[in-house]
Amino acid sequence: MSAGLGEQRPATVHTQAVAVSAEDFGWRHAERERPALQGLNLSIPAGQKVLLLGPSGAGKSTLLYALAGILEVDELSEASGALRVGGQDVFTAKQPVGLMQQDPETQIVQSRVVDDVAFGAENLGVDPELIRERITPALQAVGLGALDGEHRTAHLSGGQKQRLALAGILAMEPGLMLLDEPTANIDPEGVPALRDAVLSAAESTGATLIVVEHRLEAWADAVDRVVVLAPGGGVAHDVDPQALFTDRQLRAELSAAGLWVPGIVPETTVFAGTPGAELLHAQDLVAARSARAPKTAAVDLKIRAGAAYCIRGANGAGKSTLALTLGGLLEPSSGTLRASEDFAGELSEQPFSWKAGKLIARIGTVFQEPEHQFVTQSVREELEFAPRRAHAADPAAPAFDEERIAARVDQLLRRLRLEDLAEANPFTLSGGEKRRLSVATVLAADPQVLILDEPTFGQDANTWRELVQLLIEALEAGTAVIAVTHDEQFSAALAAQELQLPAPRETSEATRRPGPMLDAPLGESWLAGINPLAKLAAVAAATLPLVSTMDWVSASVIIVATLVALPLAGLRLLSFLRRAWPLLAAGAVAGWGVALVGEDAGRILLHLGVFTVTEGSVAAGAATGLRAIGLAIPMVLLVASTNPSDLGGALSQQLRVPHRFVLGALAGMRLLGLLTEEFTTLALARRARGVGNFGSPLQRLRAQLGQCLALLVQAVRRASRLAVTMEAKGFGTGERTWIRSVHFGLRDLLVIVAGVVLGAGAIAAALGAGTFHLVWS
Amino acid sequence: MSTSAIKPRASWRVVDIVIASAIAVASGVVFWAWNASYGFVSLGFVAFPPAAAFVSGMWLFPAALGALIIRKPGAALYCELLAAIISALLGSQWGLTVLLSGLVQGLGAEVVFAAVRYRKFTLPVALLAGLMSGFFGGFTEAYVLAYYEAYTPFMKFFHVLAMSISGMIIAGLLPWLATRGLARTGALGALASRRAHLEGAWRGQSR
Repeated sequence: MSAGLGEQRPATVHTQAVAVSAEDFGWRHAERERPALQGLNLSIPAGQKVLLLGPSGAGKSTLLYALAGILEVDELSEASGALRVGGQDVFTAKQPVGLMQQDPETQIVQSRVVDDVAFGAENLGVDPELIRERITPALQAVGLGALDGEHRTAHLSGGQKQRLALAGILAMEPGLMLLDEPTANIDPEGVPALRDAVLSAAESTGATLIVVEHRLEAWADAVDRVVVLAPGGGVAHDVDPQALFTDRQLRAELSAAGLWVPGIVPETTVFAGTPGAELLHAQDLVAARSARAPKTAAVDLKIRAGAAYCIRGANGAGKSTLALTLGGLLEPSSGTLRASEDFAGELSEQPFSWKAGKLIARIGTVFQEPEHQFVTQSVREELEFAPRRAHAADPAAPAFDEERIAARVDQLLRRLRLEDLAEANPFTLSGGEKRRLSVATVLAADPQVLILDEPTFGQDANTWRELVQLLIEALEAGTAVIAVTHDEQFSAALAAQELQLPAPRETSEATRRPGPMLDAPLGESWLAGINPLAKLAAVAAATLPLVSTMDWVSASVIIVATLVALPLAGLRLLSFLRRAWPLLAAGAVAGWGVALVGEDAGRILLHLGVFTVTEGSVAAGAATGLRAIGLAIPMVLLVASTNPSDLGGALSQQLRVPHRFVLGALAGMRLLGLLTEEFTTLALARRARGVGNFGSPLQRLRAQLGQCLALLVQAVRRASRLAVTMEAKGFGTGERTWIRSVHFGLRDLLVIVAGVVLGAGAIAAALGAGTFHLVWS
Repeated sequence: MSTSAIKPRASWRVVDIVIASAIAVASGVVFWAWNASYGFVSLGFVAFPPAAAFVSGMWLFPAALGALIIRKPGAALYCELLAAIISALLGSQWGLTVLLSGLVQGLGAEVVFAAVRYRKFTLPVALLAGLMSGFFGGFTEAYVLAYYEAYTPFMKFFHVLAMSISGMIIAGLLPWLATRGLARTGALGALASRRAHLEGAWRGQSR
């Protein structure tokens, strides 16, 4: 099944631009006291490009959601006034509106590039032929024309994902495009390409464009109009974009609201200290996530007290990996990282060997995502956590007695202006508050080295200023600060020494992602071309009869047949074993269990305490093990030759399984790789907080469960955003079309027949050999 | 606190479907991580293999977790089945029969939530759901799929009992605690369970 992209066509995506008008519009979310929007009057003519600004909480995102038609209307929410798109009320409008949000990972729905571009248009029920015509121009318009349609979306960079999402929006041919901080979560080098893609898309389609951003520089020259929402409701300013450069009062007001106004750097004190004693010394240090993962270039670096260092370098250079290694969280791949004698104290000179409780009192690491490091239920506990851990690890250290901890926590709460939120759950704070808290929780253990991964990424100007000020104070107190960052203003403010990490010596896509992957590209095997449902039916027909009997003959028939069929699925014996070994191991364990505790018969072979292993129980064990393996391994043929998306498409189109559930499940499954990565990161992030491999089995179990809960939080957050993306792409509202149609032919029938013959043959063989043994007798 | 709280709607919204799917996927990740250490754990049961059922509750937790978080008819079944499909696709389980197991285990939890008409999500309901999930699963493994056909009758009975107890704790108590933990973080804002942490353990929300 291929999508058949067709020949290169001239880039044409047509839309009919629509106007937007708000008359006294207001909206209150369910279970909120204050309205998110109130008394909004605004009129945007068709085809205009608008930059929408306002302080946080002014209702910008709510307005975009309303325009996209995805605000949930129920008996607890409340709308007032009118909001129209193209003259139609937004709550009943049926025309396509495109919405892009900031998290690139959740702007993509499907696992293959063509499928993702087509997703929205399919939901709108557009003729598949027409959708196929739109795909190439849409990809070209966003600068992704060179991508193969079968390319896996998981392998795109953040900026590319955003542009792909934009292509999907273009393929819906919307009259209005809404972008909610599209560049906030992508690397700075990807910003111009994304901005240009947005502008060329708007230009070529003529669609009305509304962009919400807190970094104004990229957009100020490109839009027709700037609208600033007032915090209480309504429009505060409605001006020409030039005013962002010329109107001093407006510039000051926006800057105070936390926006990045072109040419304004938030004011901080200037750091001008002199470096102190050497703390860490890296020699020929090479970092890697694991033995098989890509390695960074070798680094020589001396870290001194009271000095700042910025690690820079291209994507994939391994900056974060190097930071984790410097932080004592990853073992150096080669070369050495030594702590000075004074710094290490009674510990060995290798930070990686330090126990978590000792590590955090010396080297603190702040991860990019603050939520990865929250381990308690309140802001106060969060701040107390690290010093308590440090105290438990080193009861003699006077810095961590109860009184001093309390004093330090109070001081940090005041310093961060979080006193009123001391009892709040850390996860419920705003983005900026979370960022400040995450730095403070690490500072609370008073480490001499502080390492931060992209600390200013996506932050507004106010959080940026406070963060930089906090770090300058740490520097002045003699702490060494190491940051992975692209932010030049940041490194200038800290007077940081810059380390340019060269591109790695080798990168291969196969080694990039640890853990399981559901939709790895399939080879060109014969079975790959077979209808997924036919394969499923064949596996069922071949294996389910085995359930009825406990004998080694029928199981062996299926096992041998599977091995014979391996070439059809393009599998060699070795790659088969790599997939199937857990199944084989499980079969062996089941067999052993029965041999041990199964009913005894015949000669006694072995005495083990109260159990005896006999000839009879060994034979039963062998049958049990072979049956378990026979039931399991035919599935490997299916998995190795079937893309889950194709299986989903077939389930929905041919078996009429509701597409909402099938596609919802597939969209969730796309998160698998991401969540696996997050699970690994969580283990490191929590070790950096002092949670980890120590304590009683009960404490370890608690730490494990805590990590699982933290994973669930991220899963639910991502899924919530993904659901918004899907709804904005018209998902789940009505009949949809599919660009990948499913066929059922003679070959598919043949595969089913083969499965049936095998299943029946296995049973017949057992009956013939006299080993058939009905399990329910 | 207002008592009106959230009115249950039977139909699934897009956000319900996607979050339920993500719960199943996250469970798949936990299974995957668990598989890596399962070798060590199962070594502990070499002396008495049927006791391995004491940790089988591990495979069942998506059922009650999904139901407690999504609070819609079919959530337990959907999450457990999808988690089973994912582990089948990852090739770490028992092939096609894992789907059958997932279906039956999910059903065990589902009947409990259906019996209280999807209105009570208290600790006792969660414990019972976990227990039934383990019982349905253990019963199927011992007597229908008959993986351990050669076990003595007592061993088979022991397997079912151990799996039920395991289900009650790992797939009943833990999901209930997890739901409250999640609600406390505000992550469940879009769902019917968003106030789960404010509900009593025994009486739940008053309505």
